[in-house]
Amino acid sequence: MVHIRLTVNGKTYGLDVEEGVRLIDVLRDQLRLTGTKEGCGEGECGACTVIMDGRTVNSCLVMAFQADGSDITTIEGIAKGGTLHPIQRAFLEVGAVQCGFCTPGMVLSAKALLDKNPEPTREEIREGISGNLCRCTGYHKIVDAIALASSYIRGGKEDGTS
Amino acid sequence: MEPLNIVGNRVIRVDGRAKVKGEALYPQDIYLEGMLYGKTLRSEKPHAYIQVEIEEGEKTPGVVKILTAKDVTGQNHHGVLFKDHEVLCSERVRRIGDPIAFVIATSEKAACEGLAKIKVRYTELPAVFDPVEAIAKDAPKIHGESNIIYHYRCRKGNVEEGFKNCHVIVEREYKTSMVDHAFLQPEAGVAYWDQEGNIVVCAATQYPHFDQLEVAEALGLPKEKVKIINPAVGGAFGGREDITLQIHLALGAYLTGKAVKAVYSREESFYAHAKRHPIIMRYKTGASKEGKLLAMEATLIGDTGAYASWAVNVMRKAGVHATGPYEIPNVKIDSYAVYTNNPFCGAMRGFGATQVPIASEQQMDILAQALGMDPVRFRLFNCFRVGSETANGQILHESVPLERCIEAVGQRLFHGLR
Repeated sequence: MVHIRLTVNGKTYGLDVEEGVRLIDVLRDQLRLTGTKEGCGEGECGACTVIMDGRTVNSCLVMAFQADGSDITTIEGIAKGGTLHPIQRAFLEVGAVQCGFCTPGMVLSAKALLDKNPEPTREEIREGISGNLCRCTGYHKIVDAIALASSYIRGGKEDGTS
Repeated sequence: MEPLNIVGNRVIRVDGRAKVKGEALYPQDIYLEGMLYGKTLRSEKPHAYIQVEIEEGEKTPGVVKILTAKDVTGQNHHGVLFKDHEVLCSERVRRIGDPIAFVIATSEKAACEGLAKIKVRYTELPAVFDPVEAIAKDAPKIHGESNIIYHYRCRKGNVEEGFKNCHVIVEREYKTSMVDHAFLQPEAGVAYWDQEGNIVVCAATQYPHFDQLEVAEALGLPKEKVKIINPAVGGAFGGREDITLQIHLALGAYLTGKAVKAVYSREESFYAHAKRHPIIMRYKTGASKEGKLLAMEATLIGDTGAYASWAVNVMRKAGVHATGPYEIPNVKIDSYAVYTNNPFCGAMRGFGATQVPIASEQQMDILAQALGMDPVRFRLFNCFRVGSETANGQILHESVPLERCIEAVGQRLFHGLR
């Protein structure tokens, strides 16, 4: 057993974890934050994407002990109470959500992108989600949604940004 | 008439909000108090008799029970068209990945440890991996007397006469490959007894009402005692039409009295579900000097692997669509579904209609080239219109906007118009 400290969605946890446990296992099995999905277990699909200290990681490739002391944002930490984040709102409005299994990872990759680059080109958006696979949409609507989210965020506070 | 509220308007999908918030529950997101975990032991040989020893596995700490064919309380079979799958293989495996045992333990780790201690003795049998070889009389048989499970015939006009009048004839063979749906959510599920004494299986499926029948039959229960709950489904594309883990989970819960959960890895998901049928397509197509299609002969051989799944419907649809959307007065189509020891094939987007255009459209391009004709004009000259008759005799009475579609595609492809 290893003792680690994690800040997840603003809340700090002290946890005892087995050596072989991955960050995704801690999030899902111990913290029951099941919005983080496992699609492949080898860092290909991006369904398990979370933001760790400002950068996206595949939580299936990060061992729990490697995340000790880090600040993590999962899909559950994106909306502000009952108000959807502009990225979430844009995904809904554009129709970028189908089966939904890639959606949490896509939203987090989009957030990490827009936090650094609030006005990305379509090419930059495509690059920003290049680590996330979607089998339903064909990506066009996801790119549309992120472009729309960018305009919401730049538009100001009335769109749910803080 | 009142304006419509929904039809013609953009609506937000009902499950969208839960999905963007990460709150939608897929089967792997369900955790029940005191639940057990199941792992499937799968065949490593494509065709073999098996003897299974589970004693050492059952002694493994944490292992509660190991299910084999002997534990199936009802009929040890399932299948959407033919009951050719066994729930757990009894004597023989027919493909790599066939389920042999289901280990139930207090943790996933313990289930894996128990699984590693099961001994399977394989007595290998001759196997066949090529559907053309599988048709031969002396080929190893996968089930029963013949590997040919379906033959669709379509005859229209007289192809011999038709070819006699052709100015150009093109003969080619095409092959498509096996394809996996790779839906993003690997198979997962949980089964348990509810308070009314029913067995409940919660798994992502495309076919809950049929799963209910298959689970009930395999457990030997009336279907009213089996409930299937379909939570959020992480993509399917045809790949969740056959049973994968539903019966294993149900049987596990039925026999242990506890909730049993299983989650497939991506690798196991590839082993567990059907693929798109690879099809060998032999085409002979002829046209007149003016560019009118006069005759077509096609033989389609679909490899359904070790199990039929939807092979009959898929190869029928492939046969029906073999001409492509073109009027041909003389047609002869033979479409076969054949068993081999390959991974099994079933439903996948298009259901057979996706494979044949690879051949029929290539034929169109090669014919156009041989005739010295523009390939777009050649297609427009032969395409279905209102009033056309298909190879299987259907008169297209209504909307056939194909001409407009081909023109639009032609414009953009060759004239750079946007």
